[in-house]
Amino acid sequence: MTITEGQTAVAAFTPAELYARILRDEPLFILDVRNEEEFRRSPIEGRTNLTTVNIPYFEFIEDEEAAAARVPTDREIFVVCAREGSSQYVAGVLHERGYQARYLEGGYVSWGNFYDVRDVVAADWGRIVQIARPARGDLSFAVISGGQAALIDPMRHTEVYRDLVAAAGATLTHIFDTHVHADHISGGPALAEETGATYYVHAYDAIHPIDMLPAVIAYTHVQEGDRFQIGAVTITARWFPGHTLGQVNYRFDAPDGRSALFTGDGIFLRSFGRPDLGGKGEAWTPILYRSITERLPRMASDDTLILPAHFSTLDEGSAEGIFAAPFAEVRATNDALRPRDEAEFTSYVLSHLPVFPPEYVEIKRVNIGLVTPCDGTANELELGKNICALSNA
Amino acid sequence: MSIAYDQTLDVKGAKCPMPLVKSRKAVNELPVGQVLKVIATDRGSVADFQGWVKTAKNVELLAQETVNEGGQDLFVHYLKRTA
Repeated sequence: MTITEGQTAVAAFTPAELYARILRDEPLFILDVRNEEEFRRSPIEGRTNLTTVNIPYFEFIEDEEAAAARVPTDREIFVVCAREGSSQYVAGVLHERGYQARYLEGGYVSWGNFYDVRDVVAADWGRIVQIARPARGDLSFAVISGGQAALIDPMRHTEVYRDLVAAAGATLTHIFDTHVHADHISGGPALAEETGATYYVHAYDAIHPIDMLPAVIAYTHVQEGDRFQIGAVTITARWFPGHTLGQVNYRFDAPDGRSALFTGDGIFLRSFGRPDLGGKGEAWTPILYRSITERLPRMASDDTLILPAHFSTLDEGSAEGIFAAPFAEVRATNDALRPRDEAEFTSYVLSHLPVFPPEYVEIKRVNIGLVTPCDGTANELELGKNICALSNA
Repeated sequence: MSIAYDQTLDVKGAKCPMPLVKSRKAVNELPVGQVLKVIATDRGSVADFQGWVKTAKNVELLAQETVNEGGQDLFVHYLKRTA
């Protein structure tokens, strides 16, 4: 066994390359060398051609020969660990043994914090841009028109959004959070402070539902019917309580008649937002039922593009990684939205609730300013994919 | 925590995988039955040492503790060579 600090003979691969290969559904062999618990909590997921094997790095330290024997020799090996060091070590071991192996630059942390930016719509009035964090299944959006920009559900790495707005030659004026998120840290309040744009959230979400403590961040209360002009397009707030009491969908109208609905965690393409993350599942489920059956049809027509804040699996999106569909299609394909009476709906919801991740209570505290985590803690809080939707199983 | 130990290994500042690589080497040099106290600053070492001893042939993890020293968290592991 020869081990030196800082082996450099092996090449790295970036999160951007990884995501491009996943979107193209190229055959990909991931060797995840994190411990089993971390691997189970946040595996890298692909479409149909991604194979993952978990062999913790310490098994290579313990018995290099036996561990290496479990790795295929006939293809390139993409080695992943938490922070880079161990995957570099294992890729080095494999390299010396004649394998073709590379390691993920920055480790899983950099994959978790990787953003993919692409246009959903580009027209003469402007653009709708999707900003995704593929590892987490998180989606956010920018609306750019007439030199003005609005953001919907921006995430923690605010420079991604500032760069996007600057590259478009626009000024950020409005930041909308559809609700106070439980699964990830919002970039909204920080962006408002950095840019002077106004941060909007519904006041019902500015009270922590479990602590019953009020927000200490600066925000502007948004309510049903509020209208905002962003260049040539109009954005209208539509209250959609259920996932949270203050969940707001934002209706987008362009001068060419095109419409979209930023649904946050109201509805997703294949599911909808679980009503139990505030700890009041039984009380909030009937409210969600009325939002879905009565409010939603008044917010969207058949051709309104549904743009949610999450996806659960990559196949919800297009080959290019755009997660959007006209309302008529969502209604037809989203089993969770199938017509049900209230009793059926309630039993459907209660039988499809996934685990309640304990860190979600803390993330809500962060999002209304009750606690301020350092970067390392923020990465840990946000590890793995969101669990905001009902499960489809 | 009052765990008796025979030798100490300081891996403060070392990043994954080095705390474990150095611990493996130190355990190999330890007489059978003796205990090594490992002091690390890498938070990931806590879960990784627990996983490691499950696959390691001659190492037992007697205890782990976190101590705060001058504002810095230290992750301390007590490893016994069993064979």
